[in-house]
Amino acid sequence: MSFLALVQDTITKDNVMGTPHDGGNFVTELLAKIRPEWLPEWMFILTAVGIAVGFIVAMVSVIAMWSVWMERKVSGHIQCRYGPMYAGGWHGWAQTLADGVKLLLKEDMIPKGADRALFWLAPAIVLAGIFGALAAMPLSYDWYFARMDLGVFTILALGSTTTIGVVMAGWASNSKWSLYGAMREAAQVVAYEIPLGVSLLCPLMTLGTFSLLDASREQATLFGWDCGMGWAVFTNPFNMAAFVIFWIAALAETKRAPFDLPEAESELVAGFLTEYSGIRWSFFFMEEYAAMFLMSVVGAVFFFGGFETPLTALMRAADLEGGVLYNLVCFGTLVLKAFAGVFLMMWLRWTLPRVRIDQVMTMGYKYLTPLALLCVLLTAVWEYVRYLVVG
Amino acid sequence: MVSASEYFGNVWKTLSTTWGGMKITGKYFLQKPIPVQYPDERLPIPDRYRGIHYLEQEKCINCLACARACPIDCIEMDAIRHGKELEWVTFTLDYQKCMFCELCVYPCPKDCIHMGTEYALVTYDRSELNYDLLSFKGMSRDARIRKKEAEEKKAAKDAAKATKAAKAAPAEEAPAEEEKGEEG
Amino acid sequence: MTDLKQQHTPSIQPSSEEERILPSGEREFFFDVSTSDLEINMGPQHPATHGVMRVLLRTDGELVTGAQPHLGYLHRCAEKIGENVEWLQYLPYTDRYDYLSAMNNNLGYSLAVESLMPELEIPRRATLIRTICAELNRIASALIAYGTYGLDIGAFTPFFYAFREREWIQALFEKICGARLTYSFIRIGGVFNDAPPGWLKEVGMFCDVFEEKWREYYDLLVENHLFVMRTKDIGIISEEMAYDFGLTGPMLRGSGVDFDLRRDMPYMDYKEIWDAGVYQIPLGRGEKGTTGDCWDRFYVRVQEMMESIKIVRYCLEVIEAGPVIGDVPKVIKVPPGEGYVGIENPRGELGHYVHSDGGKIAVRCRVRAPSFVNLAVLEDLMPGTLLADSVAIIGSTDIVVGETDR
Repeated sequence: MSFLALVQDTITKDNVMGTPHDGGNFVTELLAKIRPEWLPEWMFILTAVGIAVGFIVAMVSVIAMWSVWMERKVSGHIQCRYGPMYAGGWHGWAQTLADGVKLLLKEDMIPKGADRALFWLAPAIVLAGIFGALAAMPLSYDWYFARMDLGVFTILALGSTTTIGVVMAGWASNSKWSLYGAMREAAQVVAYEIPLGVSLLCPLMTLGTFSLLDASREQATLFGWDCGMGWAVFTNPFNMAAFVIFWIAALAETKRAPFDLPEAESELVAGFLTEYSGIRWSFFFMEEYAAMFLMSVVGAVFFFGGFETPLTALMRAADLEGGVLYNLVCFGTLVLKAFAGVFLMMWLRWTLPRVRIDQVMTMGYKYLTPLALLCVLLTAVWEYVRYLVVG
Repeated sequence: MVSASEYFGNVWKTLSTTWGGMKITGKYFLQKPIPVQYPDERLPIPDRYRGIHYLEQEKCINCLACARACPIDCIEMDAIRHGKELEWVTFTLDYQKCMFCELCVYPCPKDCIHMGTEYALVTYDRSELNYDLLSFKGMSRDARIRKKEAEEKKAAKDAAKATKAAKAAPAEEAPAEEEKGEEG
Repeated sequence: MTDLKQQHTPSIQPSSEEERILPSGEREFFFDVSTSDLEINMGPQHPATHGVMRVLLRTDGELVTGAQPHLGYLHRCAEKIGENVEWLQYLPYTDRYDYLSAMNNNLGYSLAVESLMPELEIPRRATLIRTICAELNRIASALIAYGTYGLDIGAFTPFFYAFREREWIQALFEKICGARLTYSFIRIGGVFNDAPPGWLKEVGMFCDVFEEKWREYYDLLVENHLFVMRTKDIGIISEEMAYDFGLTGPMLRGSGVDFDLRRDMPYMDYKEIWDAGVYQIPLGRGEKGTTGDCWDRFYVRVQEMMESIKIVRYCLEVIEAGPVIGDVPKVIKVPPGEGYVGIENPRGELGHYVHSDGGKIAVRCRVRAPSFVNLAVLEDLMPGTLLADSVAIIGSTDIVVGETDR
């Protein structure tokens, strides 16, 4: 099978991409309406793929830009200062844009003695992983790039490939501080993949699905009443504990304080970023903020109802389901929930001191993993009892 | 090994103290930030602020007390004395060296050097930091007039003396001696 | 932690690939891997060294096996300058060795010179203004120590909160002497200026607000469990060790030694204040871990802020109007003799030794800098700790590099 046939196959096959009521993702659907007769199939597919990729790239950039600005404002206000105030006029909204332009124009420096190929490759790998993971994120019930039945696994698997890039960056930099950062990152991510995955099992059990779309749909009903508040944390008390574990592990996965040991400004100068500058450096930052957003999306979808709020339930009752407005509301709900998560991450970062590497390991292996397993056990019992009682 | 109570105590302490910290940071997040936006608004500068010096040149008598008091010799001053009046040549203060200790201000007998409230020392060139504190070079108009008056007075006096001497030619000595004032 | 230090022997494996049968019958493999310790320069440009200090670290992975502080990057010949400028002219230079507590440095130097001038009488108001300024400066310095230690451990926000209050202290100093960092305010014979109207009242207001904020500092960082875990049981200085190294100040009191120059070798009116029962001397008691660990030293510093507030409040109560400077000539001539006065700086005992031959210029002006003495203990504390701990230990010594190098 040729590559193009494979792509075509992937896009049109129902079990991978399609929904029960259509034959592809919303990009192809949209394009199919305006497709001219003469356009060959392969060109159509390439266009669709190109648009989807462009959309994800734009999404990552916008998320990173908005998050960086938000981080600076949040940290500023927490610390009794303003943060950026001038660029762009209103509260420095264009500060990140200006910084981005500055970073683009900076000299592209590769230190002497660095492994040039790896040094060049590392930011690319880091970004590729997060792009891939974002592709699995649905935008709303009807808007998604790929309908994945194992969506959460895709996100976790692709999201953790960024570690390879970080380790690569640390090794290629030919700096001792960078190497320390890379080694810390490797150790930390290996330790925290386990509680991250295990704690996610709790809502997965409650909801009975790995798909992000289905998980969201599952949480619409609370005790058989379609009110949009049947969130996993409400239907099962152990999910709240699981969420705390998930959140701590997510912080460690995304290298956020108090787990920012790979960077650890006060210890390792800048960790794996020490030798990076300019646009390459900004790639790592885009990855960090996109990863934060993605983790928040996973948390929002599996613990806090995904697209579901009373508003969406109301719109369903008003028979607006499937319309553009409904999808927009779903999209907005998810983005708001995700940014609430990002805000929580920032709030934690600007409150807590950093933990030590042995404490990171202790916390991961001795505290979070057993507690996550305990949560899974208790959730299983709860679900079984619920099954017996409710049926 | 840790005991069960210690184990769960650690979990509880971590979560509770984290929440305690988040309450404080959250409180300040909602409050109005305290800084002022510098170039647009500025904090009031107290009267005793030790900024760039200013010199009341009319009062100065070139006594060098400030230059002597300076620990790093950053004040350079020079003036030519014409009787009571001063013709200013230079009074520079090198702000590359100056450490704003205010030691030059206290010894001044005429209380004529002060530290002002200007603090921006931004230049394109280091040499520009060698500030000239003089508001005018040479002599002031008043001083020139005073000097001229004094000279005229002196000339008149001399002339009077000369005529007196001419009148009283046989008398040997002119008794009046010109007196010198120290007032500047 | 100490047994790690003893265990460690740098090992170098044979570099050729070979296989060997051990006496026990097991086979041992050597691969083409040689391991050796990594030598790494922390500083002179490193965020954790609080200035331009360099610590040469020998590390085995994350484990620090050796540390050697290197000094001198900020040496400015302060003592030699003291032998070349007049007595009063040296005053601005004292600001600049421990630039975070310039008032105390001025005070130490002034007291040392005054000890050679027995006939010079310091007015009471001057003494009280000196005490207020010195204690406010101690708070400002402890706030920096609090904030930067938070930075070292990785918490940013406490730093800004500490600076917010420090800013007020600086504004107070700006009002009384016109400078924000290098005050040159406490002079031989008294102080330069009397407090401007309303100043003492504002100091009282500051005390009220500060007590409130201090509680927040305590909750935000001192009691935070992650912070406690980071700082307890590392960098332990036992009582004997503290004596051996000649540590002073919070470093000594953190080890549980009850010694404070303000009480034990009183200068100015500290004896009176102590007798009035105004302040206590906080000691490290191993509340969270072992006595003399980093947390204890940090705790002592944080507690000292409150004790200083109490002293300031007492001074505000008893202060009366009067002159603020004794009978000092414009060009000071100090009677011949030698004098040493040690005062309790925020970082320990700041001693000034001055030697006069009766002239306008000192023959010898020597400074016993607390940071310099306290720094010596690093070399013994750091081996056997993790890399992150070494940062915490450097932070807990609270050095100011301007003072170690002078």
